[in-house]
Amino acid sequence: MVGKKFTLPKLAIGLVLSLIALAMFIPVINIFARAFSHPDKVHELTGLGVIPKGFSLINFQVVLSNPIVGQAIGNSLFITIVGTCFSLFFTTITAYVLTRKNLVGKTPIMIFLIIIMIFEPGYVQEYFVMKDLHLLDSLWSMVLYRMVNVFYLVIMMRFIEEIPESLMEAAKIDGAGHMRVFVRIVLPLSRIPLLTIGMFYAIAKWNEFFKSSIFLSSPNKTVLQVLLRQFVVERDTSTLVGITELLKNSNVAQLDFNALKAATIVVAMVPILMLYPIILKYYTSGVMEGGVKE
Amino acid sequence: MSRMRTVPADPKPSKLKQIRADKILYLMLLPAIAFYALFHIWPIYEMKLAFYDYRIIGDDVFVGFKHFKELFNTPIFTQVIVNTLVISAMKMFLLFPLPILFALALNEFMNSGFRKTVQVVSYLPHFLSWVVIAGVWYEFLSPSTGAINQILTFFGFQAHDFLTEKSSIRWVLVASEAWRSMGWDSIIYLAAIIGISPTLYEAARVDGAGRWHIMTRIVLPHLFIPMVTIFILNIGFIMNAGLDQILNFTNDSVASHIDIIDTFVYRMGLLNGQYSLATAANLFKSVIGVILVLSTHFLSKKMTGKGAW
Repeated sequence: MVGKKFTLPKLAIGLVLSLIALAMFIPVINIFARAFSHPDKVHELTGLGVIPKGFSLINFQVVLSNPIVGQAIGNSLFITIVGTCFSLFFTTITAYVLTRKNLVGKTPIMIFLIIIMIFEPGYVQEYFVMKDLHLLDSLWSMVLYRMVNVFYLVIMMRFIEEIPESLMEAAKIDGAGHMRVFVRIVLPLSRIPLLTIGMFYAIAKWNEFFKSSIFLSSPNKTVLQVLLRQFVVERDTSTLVGITELLKNSNVAQLDFNALKAATIVVAMVPILMLYPIILKYYTSGVMEGGVKE
Repeated sequence: MSRMRTVPADPKPSKLKQIRADKILYLMLLPAIAFYALFHIWPIYEMKLAFYDYRIIGDDVFVGFKHFKELFNTPIFTQVIVNTLVISAMKMFLLFPLPILFALALNEFMNSGFRKTVQVVSYLPHFLSWVVIAGVWYEFLSPSTGAINQILTFFGFQAHDFLTEKSSIRWVLVASEAWRSMGWDSIIYLAAIIGISPTLYEAARVDGAGRWHIMTRIVLPHLFIPMVTIFILNIGFIMNAGLDQILNFTNDSVASHIDIIDTFVYRMGLLNGQYSLATAANLFKSVIGVILVLSTHFLSKKMTGKGAW
């Protein structure tokens, strides 16, 4: 923005930025390279390698054909998709109610929400409450957990406040009730915040690992992040090995655990990478605008 | 067209009448209230266990501050508080300047494809879970095949297993946090820089200001308010040293060095079944947290006109 096109300081800054970008990029790409490498050759790959050694999909075949991994992916998808829909619907409907001008008791409700926002309940108690509600070891515990985030609720309220009141008035005169106004006017006009906040919820649900690990205990309720932790942190290989059928037909001497781990990490990243263009388009620009406005 | 209704006879209808007229509105509010009552208020209420002795059968026995006394007489807990504060403070002070410097550096390349590429790459780690990040970093730091150690050995240094050495594990936490959040956290500063009116630059250039003067006299003052706001608000969260991150970077050789209040509560409560003690630790953390968040919020409002909400 200032001065000539190429100056020495600018070149130095460009170099530092490139190094930072590489430091963020290479470890991730290296994992991809490992995942797509042939198990017999993956040991040749160094930490800076970005091209698979002996391109092969066998790691993914082994990981994805494993019923435990498949189940975990299914559970994660269920929690993410159903959880996000629930969260979005109830966040928006609550925001709609809280922006109605003649709502009685608005102040106590807002104070209640602020208390909820700043006082974190202990997770030993959260665990007990889930137990008392018979939600432990049910995927619904993760769907309902932190269902309506107060922060996003407030963002949604600010957005709905900007929808022209006359639109809703007109609908009411035509005989529409609150529910109809909400479904026919508020929801269609809120597409952008719904997408943005939906992304926030979806990423949080997909990435949630600690609460899933305490609320869901039986093996068929495991989610992908918890399973991945077993591979990465506890180095427990028992789940991943044992697909012998596949190996007989594939000229692989021995499976490489690190390559299988890499393949699982890639699987856990895929939804984020698929959503990434949308994240950049809406989520990032939303945060950026929010930053300017405040 | 919408203002055709007749003015009601009573300009201020009674509240009860209003509620009755808008029944459906309150019905729509019900799910969220029920949700908060069940999953937020109930667990908060249950934290009273910190003042009781837990009984499997029969009612819990009220014991006052017994568990708090026990907690503060446990040397481990003192260590846990120190760990929490040290790790948090390291992250807070060491990572604070990075997004600002990053935004300033990016600003040198405004409107270029290079800037966009760097940005797109730098946001990505923010969206990965700590489990995935740990997976990536375990490879990255591996003593035999990891990139860092390969670079170190190339320059003639010894390879280190950073993840199992007490001297380095906290730095791994700080570095991985930087890796994850630097790009994303720079957004707010970048937005502030973009918000600066171009006429200010013009005027400065007419007055003969160079690159350095423009940065120190125009850009930095514009970043001052977001800087102060973010720094003050960070203090409010100092009791949160990063549970997910630590659970995924922990191993037996370093566990005592990165044991924080959250991991202590998890171990005592959910693994060892010492519910009252764990709850007391958690309540202590929550109360300090509330005091810090509230005071930093008001401090921030007073100094910059902006708070956390």
